[in-house]
Parts: sequence; C-alpha cells; structure tokens
Amino acid sequence: MSRGDIAQRGAGANGSQPRPRPAANLPALGGRRRWDLLAVLSRGAAATMLAAAAGLAGFLIHAVRQAGGGSADGAPHAGSGLWETIGPAVAGTLWFVLATAALALPVGIGTALYLEEYAWPKTPRVRVFQAAIANLAGVPSVVYGVAGLVLLVHGLSAGRNIFVGALALGALALPTVVATSAEAIRAVPNELRTAAYGLGATRWQVVRHQVLPAAAAPIATGTCAAVTRAAGEAAPLLVIGAASFATFAPAALGDPIVSLPTQIFVWAVRPQPEFAARAAGAAIALLAILLGLNLAVLVLRRWLRRAFP
Amino acid sequence: MNAHGLRPDMPALSADRLSVSFGAKTALSNVSLDVSTRKIVSVIGRSASGKTTLLRAFNRTNEMIAGARTSGTARFHGTDLYDRTVDPVEVRRRIGMIFQQATPFPKSVFDNIAFGPRAGGFKGDLHELAEEVLAATGLWTDLGGDLDAPALALSPGQQQQLCIARTLAVRPEVLLMDEPTASLDPAATARIESLVHSLKATYTVVIATHDLPQAARLSDMTAFLDAGELVEYSPTATLFTNPRTRRAEEYVTGRTS
Repeated sequence: MSRGDIAQRGAGANGSQPRPRPAANLPALGGRRRWDLLAVLSRGAAATMLAAAAGLAGFLIHAVRQAGGGSADGAPHAGSGLWETIGPAVAGTLWFVLATAALALPVGIGTALYLEEYAWPKTPRVRVFQAAIANLAGVPSVVYGVAGLVLLVHGLSAGRNIFVGALALGALALPTVVATSAEAIRAVPNELRTAAYGLGATRWQVVRHQVLPAAAAPIATGTCAAVTRAAGEAAPLLVIGAASFATFAPAALGDPIVSLPTQIFVWAVRPQPEFAARAAGAAIALLAILLGLNLAVLVLRRWLRRAFP
Repeated sequence: MNAHGLRPDMPALSADRLSVSFGAKTALSNVSLDVSTRKIVSVIGRSASGKTTLLRAFNRTNEMIAGARTSGTARFHGTDLYDRTVDPVEVRRRIGMIFQQATPFPKSVFDNIAFGPRAGGFKGDLHELAEEVLAATGLWTDLGGDLDAPALALSPGQQQQLCIARTLAVRPEVLLMDEPTASLDPAATARIESLVHSLKATYTVVIATHDLPQAARLSDMTAFLDAGELVEYSPTATLFTNPRTRRAEEYVTGRTS
C-alpha cells in the first residue's frame, strides 16, 4: 500500500465519522515523499544479480551452439553424443558428492554438537579450536589438494583415486559444515534445553530429542550447500591428479579421479574451439547436477520441517 | 540419587547457609530455611532478589549457567543434593520445576507429556498417564481428549497447564514453580492457582511470585528475599499481617523505598 492510500483512507474516515474537533485543526495525513536510498540500491543489486545469472546461462549455451556447428543438442562433433563424452565425468561427480557427504557430514555435525552441547563451559582450549575451524573455512581449495597430494598420495601411497579426492573435498567442506551446523544448533532456544533438563532428561536425551530435531532443517540446508560447493571444485582434484580423459564411468572408490569440474578444466585449456564447446556442455551438466541437488535438499528440508516442526 | 536412604521425617527441602554466585555477582547469600513435606511455600521479593536462584539451587539447574558457584548445603529429605554421589538428572526427576515462560516442546500434547517419563525409563501406559496428569491439571476436558493437538496451538494459560502436567508425569515429589503466572491473564492465573492449591495434597510446592496477594492466598509459609538474603521466613499470615522485620513490613505494605 502506498502512502497515498493511507492519506485517502484517513480523509474518508474523517468525512464519514463524527468529528471531535473541526477538521481544520487536524493535520492532514499526506506526508512528504521519502527517499530510501537502500531500497534503490538493493533493487539495483538484485537486478545485477539476475543479469549475471542470465548472462552466464546465455554464454554457456551460446558457446556450445557456436562451436558445435549449429547442433542444438550440444554435441561437439558428429558421431559422439554429449553423454558419451561427459557421462563418466557426471558419474564421477555423483561419486564425489556421495563420498564427500559421507565423510564430511558425520564428522562435521558431530564436531558442531561437541562444540555447542558438550564442550561446556567453554575453556580457552575449546575457543582456540573453534577459532581454528572458523579460519579453516577461508583456506583456498587448492591447499587441500596439496595437502592430499603430500600426505595421502606421496606420504601414504594411497593412490590418485576417488577416495583420496573425496577426502580432500571432505576436508574442504568440513569447516563450513561445522560452522553452519554450530550456527543451527546455537539457534535452538535455550528454554527448550532448560525445559528438557528440568524434566530429568540426560544430555544425550536432550540433544537427541530436542536439539537435533529443532536444528535438523537448517543443518541440512547449510551442510548440503557446503558439500555441493566442494563437489564443484576442480583445483584439489587436479593437484591430486585427475584423469585427463575418462573413457569409463568409475565404479568404485579406488577408481581414477574423473569429475565434471576437472574435465571442464582439461577441455577448456585446449586451443581447439570444439573442446571449448565440450567444456561449456560439461559446465551446463555440472550446473544441472548442482541444481538437482539443491532441489533435493529443498524437498528434504520441507520434509524435515514437517517431521520436526 | 544416592544409596543413602531419604528420610521422610526430615524436611522435604532444606537450605543451610546456601550461597550461589555467578562469576563475581552474588545471587544468594547464606540462606537457611526448611520446607516441610506437603506444604506450599511462597518466595517473594523484588526482581533479582534471588528467588529464581533459590529455586534452581534445589534442582541443580544453576550449574547449567556459566560461572555458577554454590556453597553451603541444600538437602532433600536429609540428603545433600550437591554430594558427589548424587546424580543431578535424578534430582530433577524427583524435584520438578515449572518456569515463568511456559515452553512446550514444538510437538503434540502427548509428546510433551511423554518426553519426561520416557527419559526416565517409564514402562507403563503413557496414554493412561497423559490422561491422568491432564485431568489433574484441568486440561483434559479443555482438549476434549485430543492428545495429538499441537502444544503451541494452546493458549498461554493452557500451555502453562501443559507444562505443569508434563512435570507431574515424571512423578516428582516436589514442585518448584518460578513465577508460573507472571505472563498469564487473570483468568488463566486463577486456573493455575486453583491447580496449585489442589496439588498441595500430594506435593511439596515452592512458588516464587511477584504477586503478593497470590502468595497470601496460596501458601502456608512465606520467605521474603531481598538482595540475595533471606530477610524473613514466617507463616504466611504472620508475614503479611504482622511481620517481624521492618524490611518485610515495608515490602508487603508497598512502602518500598
């Protein structure tokens, strides 16, 4: 409703109802126009955001069409469908999503629970630990790759496989998983804990039946964002050593590293335009996967909200 | 609790030079009082006079606040509640607490009531228990027997009744009530008061309140706390009509300088 509406409704009410005082003594309700700089700026920011997203999508599709010689399905050249070229990398990325989640979620959520519910009162040591985790979230992803290379590939001779890659991605996601889970746990009202303890519940019972259900939806949102973010990383996997071209889809954690982000990088650095098109096609596939995961999280969150209101 | 038996002949609760501080701030200093079994004791006093701290000291919930230190003794039928062998979880099952702000769990009425007994390993029929405690609090007829109603959909007064019901479901012997009607309207307050009155036959009740007429109506004994000290602990009629101390007289007559 605009300011004009309020002024009009005010005038109407004055006209139809008994007046305690002559209308001349009542100041009108119409006000000055107020400039809201933040409203203008925030609208501008939202428009820029929209333009950037549309531009990105448009560019990717354009790149595929151009280099693909006009074929709309994005196939770089005749005789090889998009799926044959990027299928193994898609499968590899799904492996990384699952393995990264399996590694990062239990440790991350567990650490957050320890920090928020068990490490009490907060000793200086716990605070240092907490600050360290917060700082880890800012470490560039390539560093996790180097750590994986030095410690696991060279140090433990663990090989350049999906498991080692997932360990690096899991470590990358971990600080964010801890931070967002801790945030969600902290947001659970303390009254809920006090009430539960007051009824003679043990700490485990309070955490299991009150804190975790209340924090489940925001934990799911934050942790899944961290995992999909990590699964979209190329740098750590390239440093550890990704296959330059995947001919078969990985079937086990010990298989060589293939994933969409590394494949995109490998293709994108080649000089031929066909490979640029492949890279763009793979980028679209990667975005589609991440979008699908986000939708899945959305559904999961709705379900959690309903299951634990 | 611990292996040493509780002694029914000893006061249900007793504090002896009980002091509680939070960091550098003393919330309760040298309070000594006895609460006899199946009596209602009111604790009155201004805000921040230590009423809540005294109540919380009796079910060991002060220790959930960072920096809390308790000295002196608090006993339950002669057993030191702060003894090393005493399990605070067990203390809270025997000495229940109702808070000023009713905080039902965001679940059904049934789940609210079942939580405590389940936590304590209750083996009987939870529906029967729920019906019994809801009937005791007067909520059963209001709800029309609908145990699946979401607790947060109840009115504030009903939410407090539910919180009392779920505490009764744990079968405590003592109820500590921290200003249970402070955020309720007069009708809901009256309901809670008559409920407290009916609980007297079975329970020992300690009720902290700002509402002096409420203390006068409900309790057998009244304790007046001021700045963490117990100023006077007398039979309620005495404290309100013929207090022994000037500070209590000033407070109950409203001449609070």
